Amino acid sequence: MQEKTQTNNKVLVVGGGMGGIRSALDLAESGRDVVLIDKAYSIGGLMTRLDRTFPTNNCDLCTLSPHLSESGRKLHIELLTMTEVSRLDGEAGDFTATLTTKPRYIDMDKCTACGQCHEKFPEAVRFTPGLDHRAPTCMRYPQATPYAFSIDLERCEDVDALVKSCPTGAIDLNETETVRKLSAGSIILAPGAELFDPTVLDTYGYGVHPNVVTSMEYERILSATGPTNGQLLRPSDGKAPQKIAWIQCVGSRGVQEGCVAYCSSACCMYALKEAIVTRERFSDAIETTIFYMDMRTFGKDYELYYQRAKNEFGVRLVRSRPHSVVSENGSGNLEIAFLPEDGGQARSEVYDMVVLTTGFRITPELRELAGRLGIDLNEHGFARTRSFDPVATSKPGIYVCGLFESPKDIPETMIQASAAACSAGGDLNPLRIVAKSEEELPPERSVLGEDPKIGVFICDCGLDIGGVVDVPKLVDFAASLPNVAFAEAIGHGCSKESLGVIRQRIGDKGLNRVVFGACSPRTHEMLFQDTLRKAGLNKYLMEIANLRDQDTWVHASQPDVAAQKAKELLKMAVFSVRLAHPLADHTLPMNKDVLVVGGGVTGMEASLSLADMGFRVYLVERSGQLGGNARNIRKTLEGEDVQAYVKGLIERTESHDQIQVLTQSLIVDHTGMAGAFRTGVQFGPQMFYRPIRHGITILATGALANRPREYLLDEHEAVMTQRDLDNLLEDRADKVQSWNNVAMIQCVGSRVPENPNCSRVCCQAAIKNALRILDINPQARVYVLYRDMRTPGFEEDYYRKARERGVIFVNYGLESKPAVKANGKGVTVSFRDPIVGREIQLPADCLALSTGFIADEESTEDLGTIFRLPRTQDDYFLEDHIKLRPVDLPIPGFFVAGTAHSPRSIRESVAQAKAAAGRAQTFLARDTINLGAVVATVDRDKCASCLICVRACPFDVPFINAEGYSEIDPAKCHGCGTCASECPAKAIQLMQYEDDQILAKLDGLLERMV
Amino acid sequence: MQNFEPVIVAFCCHYCAYTAADMAGSKRLGYPPNVKIIRVPCSGKVDAIHMMKALEKGADGVYVAGCLDGDCHFKTGNIRAARHVEAVKKLLDEIGIEKERVEMFSMSAGMGEKFAEVASEFTERIRKLGPNPVKTSAFAQVRQAVG
Repeated sequence: MQEKTQTNNKVLVVGGGMGGIRSALDLAESGRDVVLIDKAYSIGGLMTRLDRTFPTNNCDLCTLSPHLSESGRKLHIELLTMTEVSRLDGEAGDFTATLTTKPRYIDMDKCTACGQCHEKFPEAVRFTPGLDHRAPTCMRYPQATPYAFSIDLERCEDVDALVKSCPTGAIDLNETETVRKLSAGSIILAPGAELFDPTVLDTYGYGVHPNVVTSMEYERILSATGPTNGQLLRPSDGKAPQKIAWIQCVGSRGVQEGCVAYCSSACCMYALKEAIVTRERFSDAIETTIFYMDMRTFGKDYELYYQRAKNEFGVRLVRSRPHSVVSENGSGNLEIAFLPEDGGQARSEVYDMVVLTTGFRITPELRELAGRLGIDLNEHGFARTRSFDPVATSKPGIYVCGLFESPKDIPETMIQASAAACSAGGDLNPLRIVAKSEEELPPERSVLGEDPKIGVFICDCGLDIGGVVDVPKLVDFAASLPNVAFAEAIGHGCSKESLGVIRQRIGDKGLNRVVFGACSPRTHEMLFQDTLRKAGLNKYLMEIANLRDQDTWVHASQPDVAAQKAKELLKMAVFSVRLAHPLADHTLPMNKDVLVVGGGVTGMEASLSLADMGFRVYLVERSGQLGGNARNIRKTLEGEDVQAYVKGLIERTESHDQIQVLTQSLIVDHTGMAGAFRTGVQFGPQMFYRPIRHGITILATGALANRPREYLLDEHEAVMTQRDLDNLLEDRADKVQSWNNVAMIQCVGSRVPENPNCSRVCCQAAIKNALRILDINPQARVYVLYRDMRTPGFEEDYYRKARERGVIFVNYGLESKPAVKANGKGVTVSFRDPIVGREIQLPADCLALSTGFIADEESTEDLGTIFRLPRTQDDYFLEDHIKLRPVDLPIPGFFVAGTAHSPRSIRESVAQAKAAAGRAQTFLARDTINLGAVVATVDRDKCASCLICVRACPFDVPFINAEGYSEIDPAKCHGCGTCASECPAKAIQLMQYEDDQILAKLDGLLERMV
Repeated sequence: MQNFEPVIVAFCCHYCAYTAADMAGSKRLGYPPNVKIIRVPCSGKVDAIHMMKALEKGADGVYVAGCLDGDCHFKTGNIRAARHVEAVKKLLDEIGIEKERVEMFSMSAGMGEKFAEVASEFTERIRKLGPNPVKTSAFAQVRQAVG
């Protein structure tokens, strides 16, 4: 292990959006202590405002949110809202951050989020369920994410009445701004960015015409709980719009006043999403038109999404930047004036509504923050990073992820967040990973053979339950139920005091089952389970009757009805808990060695990140040498020397004593599960077989450089790929001196039926090479024939520079591809110029083809079969969740990074490599893997080995074992219970949801009836 | 019949429908108290036995609520659940009980309104159908005879 000098082991994460949350969770799950701060009064960031996200069109926050309440979080994350870094001293390993917290005027320990204050003083209490309908549920976790209430004192006219409105006395006007010094070993910046406010532009009428809205406002209109309750109505007159236009790049990719020069990267996709959702959800009679400059759908499978939008959903796309939006007299309709792409006359079209697709902006506050922290910003105000270390700022020990690094979408933000967590964690003392001791727990008491002795604890939750139903009467009722030994009103059951009392009672009264009459198990099950465990009971010996969220909140105006239902809910819980039995969480000892497959840049970066942390890494490479695709790349777009970087990486990898490199190696077999894998490798010229035991697998097998037989490639010496040209420019610059014309053709072998996705790197390669040709030979004329120029983020700067320096960009469509003929030592390229509207014959001394990537189908197919991992239809590995878990593969313990995931740049591959290493650490930090107890188990005596469970399981877990009955590996079971319901012999039961427990609930509800 | 208050069992999946129910609560949306929720990890966990037993024990209506198409936390549980509901409907048809007493619904975790709406509409539907015939004479006699 490397020597680390610092003594400080906390990480400060600034910003609680999706990126900051991901970083904090990764660190916490790796056993690190985190302080997560956000200047807002609740966390969640921009994503919580979105209706649905591309490309799944799902509400993805709901998929992530269950993870936010995982217990690791409670132990390791301290959350401070309304807090900013006001000063930073010290250096990497020993920072002292001064944190300033604004007063919330609400004591979070007492607040139950009943909403009384908000109801009586809506103007003075900050709470935004209209804007964020998920805030009151998904983002609500005990003691962690605070309920999103805060008092705005300046807007309150009757302070005394406001204070009195709170039934629990949580409003505390004596709160003042607090200042705290925090020691931290490293810092992650995830402060996000703001969305551009187009009011400053005078051409599109935003702020003047009510039916001109921003894309975020449109998201809110689409949202089921937005201002129109999910109905598509336009603001001016509440009519349902029939013609909607989107205008892309509003405020981005511009040179005029108020605009920024960079591309905001994510907007093409979200405009497509909004148009698709509009037609899908409301009516396909609604005309949706997107005015765009270049459709930049360069992410994983995004090109397919774009094609679906056009071909399946009938979204109309017009390549034009509209000149203006003016109001049609009095109707509220809007007239868009634009020049069509075919070079014809200026036209105008009338729309009912216009959506301005606005991108990301760095605010003055963010620039100030950067100044206080002492990190460099680039010319656009974003944190400056380097291609080969994309999450490190200019200041050692400070890392960055998400929008503050550059404009990007959610998956890339999640990747950077995990990468930043990996780097920030790597700065801390590795010994601390295991040094953090978990709480001491009393031994678990055996309840075997005991009759159920149930304790019922009923919360009043202030007035939320107690104000609607008579809790003492409910307690009497509960005490009368069978097997109930004790019942008590417990006030706020979730408070520290009450939990202490409950623990006491369990011991004193000898209880062996517990029912809580409380709020939702979704939010409080974990807390109450902990309480049982701390009292020496198995944590699965309890039930929660959801008296608040599903009774008293719903029937507040009918107390009798609520009381009757409360009794029924309690009875159901009591009947069911009688049958509860102790369950053991399944655990496995964790093998902490790592197998990395693929020795390119990605594989080496991932290996080094983990080896530097002290983990043993086996790096398996198919070819005879390390380096992968990057061996054939000389310069990045930004001008960095790729070969020097790769050489350094190879040296570090080969000399690292924690890394064992196996070249000329093939994976041949594989068994086991996360924490206990065994993979067979054949290696060396003799193909010796060797089994490797490891706990984690990272796939970094890369993609192949595409080389399609097209445009005389490999037939004529003047025709080459951009990679060939890259090398030629370095090694034979003299050749370039004599060139008059150079032609480049984009999307050769990409965005075509055989290889449908965008290769991501070729537009940059073309611009990089074009600029270098002009550096060597300023007289050369360079023509780039393109379909869409895709230079997201700051790459746009180079595209602009290329245009300024005279590179000529000519658009072509798939239906009118250029043609190439040999012409002596050169070639003639013929194409149609849409601006002048005629065919051009261009004699070129060099033709460079942008050929991009193609998936390494053979490798991914072999490995996919051996490891049982799914792949996309174009043969890249398919991650667990395209939005939120971009490096986790669907099988626990497997991660993917680099071009095996999707075509990506070196910068993005390095980030993803570190992200995979970071995610791997969330497993490697544990000594055992806890698999929970909600798993399916088979009664072998009842099993007829009919194979139905084998076919039904969505995760392919059950199999018929050697003894002839179905076996379900608890380590692989996800606990959905599908097999249990499908099993015709009822030989399978899902623990905690066994059939007799479910039927007991029915008995509790219906017993009196028949 | 005038004062008939049906008892309805709603099997709700943890990730979507149960969350939507909590959401309805936190937004203080009213829905009939007749609906009693049983939480399951996935709607695919609910099989014919659960629905039939509920009816046998005297529930007047049963529904399963899962995630929207494509949103299932366990990939396809909601599709399987819909199939189970269809099977139960067929079964009910055969034994002369209105198949409208069981139904499948889908909603996302954020759809508190949808949860309340479904609960109200289904309760109305069952109210119109009247009490579960299992509780009335003919079936009750059969039950008694069978013991």
